[in-house]
This record gives sequence, C-alpha cells and structure tokens, in this order.
Amino acid sequence: MAFGQTQKATSQIPVASMADIAFLLLIFFISTTIFRMEEGLPVALPRAETAQRQERELIMHVWIDKQGHIAINDRVVAVEDIAGVVMKVLQEKPGLIVAFNADERCPYSVVSDVMEELKKANAVRVSFTSEPEAAANAAADANAE
Amino acid sequence: MKKLSVRSRLSTQLSLPSTSDIAFLLLIFFLATTIFDLEQGIYMVLPGQQSQSVRVRRDNITIVKAYADGSITIDDKAIAVSQIRTIIQGRLARNDKTVVVIETHPEADYGLMVDILDELRLAEARTISLKTMLGNGVP
Repeated sequence: MAFGQTQKATSQIPVASMADIAFLLLIFFISTTIFRMEEGLPVALPRAETAQRQERELIMHVWIDKQGHIAINDRVVAVEDIAGVVMKVLQEKPGLIVAFNADERCPYSVVSDVMEELKKANAVRVSFTSEPEAAANAAADANAE
Repeated sequence: MKKLSVRSRLSTQLSLPSTSDIAFLLLIFFLATTIFDLEQGIYMVLPGQQSQSVRVRRDNITIVKAYADGSITIDDKAIAVSQIRTIIQGRLARNDKTVVVIETHPEADYGLMVDILDELRLAEARTISLKTMLGNGVP
C-alpha cells in the first residue's frame, strides 16, 4: 500500500530578484511622476460627492480666485478676452472641456460671466472642479490636528 | 638614490552591490512624492450659440434659488442644502419630466451653487438649468 508523501513547503523568499523588482518599480515611478508646479491662482475648491474623473488631455483650466480674478492656464485674463483665447484652443482640441477651478467663496457673477463668454466661443463642455468629500474631510482633519 | 614614483592603479569597476540600495532609496523617494493627478469635477454641457430654446410647461419646472446670504429656497419655500435631495427625488418620482433651474444671485458664493448642483446630481436630476438672478433677489 502506498502512503501519501507529505511535501515540505520552502519558507524562503527569493531575494535575488528583489533588486530587479525595485528597478522595474523605479522606472515606472520615474516615468509617471509629474512634479506639479504651482499654476493658476490660489483657490479653495468646493466639495462634491458626485465629482467624476475627467480626461486630462482635453481639459483647459480656468482659475477664479476669491477676489474674482480670472486666469487661463497661468495667464491672468480679462473676461472680454476669454472667448478669443478659448476659440483658439477649441480649434486645436475640438472636444475641449473647460474646468472651472473657482474658489468656493468667489462671487457667482464672475463664474456666470465666464460661462457667457464660453457660450460665445461655443465651448459648451464644462466641469466644475471640486474636491471629493472624503479627501476634503481628511484634509480638514489634518489641518485641525 | 632617487625615489621611484609609485603609480597607483585606478579600479575601473563599479561597485554593483550598492546599486540596489540606491534603487531602493530612489524608489522610496518616488513612492513618497508621486501624486497621480486626477481631474475631478461635476460635468455639464452648456447651451451653445446654435442651441434652440425649448419651451417647458410651468408645472414641470422646479426653481431652486440661491441667495447672497447663503439661504436657499425651492419654489419660494426656504430649505437647507441637505433637504434638496429628498425634495427633488420626490418631485422626480411624481413627474419624471421635471426640469430643475438653479437661479443664483450674482453676489452668492460659487460654492453654494456647486453644493446645490451636487445635491441635484445625487437626486439623479437629469435636466438642470443654470440661471443668474436678476434684480436684488430679496427672498
């Protein structure tokens, strides 16, 4: 009668390949890391639960600070110039999404004026950039500590 | 007797064992500093210049007003932001053709409008219109 042989499982972790894995991860992080420079205007974004992820390549940022100053991609602009600037970008990127990075305390009239200019330029796809509720709460807790 | 100069031989080998340590150090650095830049926002499509105005029956319209002092009304009844979802869900259950108009005072905070919009999205309101209040908008 044949008895079942018990196999002894080895408890060692192969460490020889660790450096290879480290290098692979390193290459991944080096290639994907973006060092974000401060751009636009300083804003405190509103919070929203229904915020969805947007395609980065199609986005053009419009920054509006607490005082109502407007900036498009690093440049401070007047309301009247927005349509012209957006039209130029829209020719290059037809599916352009204009993301409003507006301070939650900024007057609505500024946002409304910008939207009117966007309508003139026929840039109808907009996104109201907001912080997800969970992330915003975590940031608030960290500040409280 | 003249002293002969001794030439030292320079090693041309790289010390390989330490490269994995450097790799790990760099890895920790990138792990700690990497931010995956995600764009998050409430997406909307505005009416363009070519868009034609659509007539909507008065009974199908629900007007949410946001005032400069932070107060909110639904069809002229004062409410809190947290109540919007329930009210709109009820109206949508009764009439699925409900169009919600957010009428915001020019001096109201933009954040207030986003809060209302967020609640409307949570209530699954599909047709939302943005309007700027005319006049002083005193409730």
